Amino acid sequence: MSTIAQKGRDATNPLQPDLATVVGIISETPNIRTIKLVFDDERLMQDFSFQPGQIGQLGILGVGEATFAISSPPSVKDHIQFSVMKTGEVTSAIHELAVGDKVTVRAPLGCAFPTADWEGKNILLIAGGIGMAPLRSLFLDLLDHRDRYGDLKLIYGARTPDDLCFQQDCRAWEAGAGMGFTATVDSEHPGWDGCVGLVPSVVEAQGLPPEGTVAVTCGPPIMIKYTLASLDKMGFREEQIYTTLERRMKCGIGICGRCNVGPRYVCTDGPVFSLEELRGLPDEL
Amino acid sequence: MKFIITEKIPELLESLSNAGQEVWAPQVVRDTVNTVLFAPWIPGADISFDMFTSISAKELVLPATEKLFSFRYRSENDLEAIEIESGEEPQARPILLFGARACDAAALGALDALFNGEPGGAFNDPAYRARRGALTVITLACTSCDTACFCSSFGEGPAEKSGSDIFLYPTEGGYLAEALTDKGKEIVGQQPFEDSCATAPPLVETARVDLTDIASRLRDGFADIDLWEQVAERCLSCGYCTYSCPTCHCFNIFDEMRFDREGERLRGWDACMFHQYTEETSGHNPRPRVAHRYRNRLSHKFWYYPENQGAFLCTGCGRCIRGCPGNLDIREAIAAVQQRHAGDARNGGR
Repeated sequence: MSTIAQKGRDATNPLQPDLATVVGIISETPNIRTIKLVFDDERLMQDFSFQPGQIGQLGILGVGEATFAISSPPSVKDHIQFSVMKTGEVTSAIHELAVGDKVTVRAPLGCAFPTADWEGKNILLIAGGIGMAPLRSLFLDLLDHRDRYGDLKLIYGARTPDDLCFQQDCRAWEAGAGMGFTATVDSEHPGWDGCVGLVPSVVEAQGLPPEGTVAVTCGPPIMIKYTLASLDKMGFREEQIYTTLERRMKCGIGICGRCNVGPRYVCTDGPVFSLEELRGLPDEL
Repeated sequence: MKFIITEKIPELLESLSNAGQEVWAPQVVRDTVNTVLFAPWIPGADISFDMFTSISAKELVLPATEKLFSFRYRSENDLEAIEIESGEEPQARPILLFGARACDAAALGALDALFNGEPGGAFNDPAYRARRGALTVITLACTSCDTACFCSSFGEGPAEKSGSDIFLYPTEGGYLAEALTDKGKEIVGQQPFEDSCATAPPLVETARVDLTDIASRLRDGFADIDLWEQVAERCLSCGYCTYSCPTCHCFNIFDEMRFDREGERLRGWDACMFHQYTEETSGHNPRPRVAHRYRNRLSHKFWYYPENQGAFLCTGCGRCIRGCPGNLDIREAIAAVQQRHAGDARNGGR
């Protein structure tokens, strides 16, 4: 549905995964780990390209596959990474992985953020919890092409300081001049001297004005709900707001059936949708 | 037109079987009463044309469970070394489906749109392509029907020829044969077919459902949850409708270990009527109630698939009506959506 025609992966058999090796693991929070992967096929690693917002099926043979956003930016060419919250069977097995272990990957899948349409505009990114994963990829990509965009602002919220992912990035963004980065936590914590407050109120206080601005929000449904209300209050229109949808997915190519919202499939038409597009779909989220 | 006398049918099937085709035909299943299924035919077996098959023939192109690939760990509990059996271009055994109905054959066309795309493009499924290419379909035209049939609602109805290689028309003493493809021509060009100048008999006229603007009426009625609760009130979420349906194709992908070190990634039929089908790990389920799931199934067939592929995802075979333990009738569900629209129109709404 997004305007970027970045659909699916060009493979002779879309259900056949590629083998990859775990080359790095970062324990982000008590229940989120980042897994860095290198495709076993050197050629594939060299040629691998994707755009921020695209997703992949990460699998462990014998356990199964699950869908995650790619959290590394396209400019990183020597590996790709997924950041995974431990919730079910596959994610628990992913949390057991060690460097050197083999996984299966089918990526990239789905449509990316339409960044080509955003050139010349200000971009306000609003992330909550694990919703930071696709926005990390996007933010780093925007920074890689900083001159194409106007003001950039990233507001990233978590319940506690310990729940903030990508702390190394956060420190770099905080230190960088003119990076427009704010990390916020829900309530006061000993040792935390950063911003305190729920994401929607921080957006209202520190966000960018709506004129010439695109807002992108990813996070838990409750955060999205109140953030959309705040953006509306600030004067953002539906076509200026983008988000990503999550659904249970299996095939990743728009056939197996379960991820549809009305006639659109999250795995191929999404996961990136503008709010305007979402409002045109049946209410079945 | 060609002609084959009834008594020569076994001879035809035997010669095709000897030529390397696995012949499937509708047969009464052993040890059951009143159940006819498509099954592998061996010479001497009776073919049953008296009843419709309970389950469609889709398993010939989309097996209930199939291996996508197998894998092997080099040692137990060692995720470091894995071998995947590479996905070579799959080979399929040639199968002749004898005695499909027009609704069964037309359903293959609906599946083709999703599985039989060009290699490298979307909707390309090498295993499906191989099986589909190796499948020959000889369709028996319907001169009678039962109360569940409603194929006249779609396309050419009982005369719909898409998906068929040969159309057989029952006639005095045998069957008139119309070859529709090169594969079909090759078969009817041989013994025991003979030339005939007879004309085909009139085909049956089945029940019709009103599909006028059905997609937009489903859209209008989407949020009317009372309608869907009412329509799906007797649904048990058992999935019989989806498993027996010739066009339902939703699948799951899952891994199974065979031994300590070996396993397979499998694809198997799934059903949108199951609660777990859309249940997310978080516990959130976008379709938590039967009403939501039934709405999705009906909308997929008459709104979503038509919007994406330009055709209905239903051929009116009636299996979901004949076999439903809750006695649901998809035609009544469509009629309820239409009646809601009529009610809206009367009340001055959309």
